[in-house]
Amino acid sequence: MAFRAGYFGRETLISLRRNILMTLAGILTVAVSLLLFGSILLVSDAVDRGTARWKGGVEFEIFMQVDATEQQIGEVRAALDEDPDVESVRFLDQEDAFNEFQRIFVDEPDLRESIRPEDLPSSFRVVPTDPEFTEDIVARYEGSPGVGSIETAQEQVENVLSATNQLRNWVIGLTIALLAASLFLIVNTIRLATFARRREIEVMKLVGASNWFVRVPFVAEGMVQGAVGAGIAFAGIYVVQRVLFGGDPSNRPELLRGFIATQSDAISIGILCLVIGAVVGVSGAWLGLRRYLSV
Amino acid sequence: MITYENVTKIYKGDVLALRNITLEIAKGEFVFLVGPSGSGKSTFLRLLLREEMPSEGTIVVAGRDITKLSRWKIPHLRRNIGCVFQDYKLLTNKTVYENVAFALEVIGRPSNVIHNQVPQILDLVGLATKSENFPHELSGGEQQRVSIARAFVNRPLILLADEPSGNLDPTTTVGIMRLLDRINKTGTTVVMATHDQRIVDAMRRRVVELDRGAMVRDQARGVYGVSA
Repeated sequence: MAFRAGYFGRETLISLRRNILMTLAGILTVAVSLLLFGSILLVSDAVDRGTARWKGGVEFEIFMQVDATEQQIGEVRAALDEDPDVESVRFLDQEDAFNEFQRIFVDEPDLRESIRPEDLPSSFRVVPTDPEFTEDIVARYEGSPGVGSIETAQEQVENVLSATNQLRNWVIGLTIALLAASLFLIVNTIRLATFARRREIEVMKLVGASNWFVRVPFVAEGMVQGAVGAGIAFAGIYVVQRVLFGGDPSNRPELLRGFIATQSDAISIGILCLVIGAVVGVSGAWLGLRRYLSV
Repeated sequence: MITYENVTKIYKGDVLALRNITLEIAKGEFVFLVGPSGSGKSTFLRLLLREEMPSEGTIVVAGRDITKLSRWKIPHLRRNIGCVFQDYKLLTNKTVYENVAFALEVIGRPSNVIHNQVPQILDLVGLATKSENFPHELSGGEQQRVSIARAFVNRPLILLADEPSGNLDPTTTVGIMRLLDRINKTGTTVVMATHDQRIVDAMRRRVVELDRGAMVRDQARGVYGVSA
């Protein structure tokens, strides 16, 4: 058996070298397509994680009317305190709102000076026990006496998600096209390889080599192409992960801090790519063999 | 060993290659298959290897009806049949030793068997000293000996030879025929298709003559031509 493994290894290497340009073309298209595929999976992992944090962790805000009475504010506060769907509530009075306003518009003194605390609404920042309850809670308080508007992060989150989903679908479409191209390249490489070795194949069949024995070196050749391409993509995905998400998160803008894809994400995506690459390689070889090797 | 029963082969486009052949070849026989080009000799051999299926009739080899053989068992049939051709079919990038070893290697024989058998067979065909040479460094007769060594190294029950002397001069041919005779004496059934009248006449073995696909003569200890 060791002898046969040696035989297959030797034959596969010889064949890979003989068609070096076709082999490289196959490897590169597999690498490019899987790198694209892996990167977009990595990015959408990060987006999922980032938006999940927004959805789960970020409060929505109930703004009272500017002229809401103390009593109205007190009623809303009491209702929120009792509400089982509400995890926590923070009340910002007009003075707090004013301070935040000053902070946000620190570079625009004109705007800052034109506003007084009594021009700004007080508000409740509400954290629901589950992000799914947001809509219910909003419906419950909308229109209560003194309540002005309620703002949630839901819409923005959905925009980001649908944009990344769309991008992901495009990239996956592109990946499929490129993988098809690499499949055809591998089919062609294997055809060339069988043609180059047609005399050997003829002799093998003549002396009674079994079909699988004739095929194994070619299938291995296709698999090596797919797997090496996928290996390059794996390394590329690892690098992409380091570049995009590898630095100290506190150096990044607050908003993007939650957008993280970890090394283990990169590794599991890489393994997926290796499997896809090997499958593409083996199927390419199989298709390439079909014509020449019927007994 | 080989039985053809009412075997007819019609190729695509109504080309009749063999017509209703019934024939029995016993174990250890040496049979010449003679007849002009296009008489069906090659088709006869191709059917035996299951490179083609007969259109009608059955072919039994070593007790097994090979027309009923499933595809994946065909390699096993071929392991029992060695083949020698006019153009040798040697691999030019392999040495004599490697060419012969290849036949064992690709049917999965272990390396100790290969190391043991190949020198033995090269000795038998008289090429022990040329085992490291490449085919282009050998004469035609020597190349044919390599081809015979490769066909016989696995000790098949049957040896088929399709015009083995087609490219060889008469003196060299005599050597090749001696070798085939020797192989035949080990109990191997030999079927040889040939145009070479001198060989057939000299050997005085069973002769089967084909003409336009039909068997017109089957003669023990025969000669090439009827009138000769």
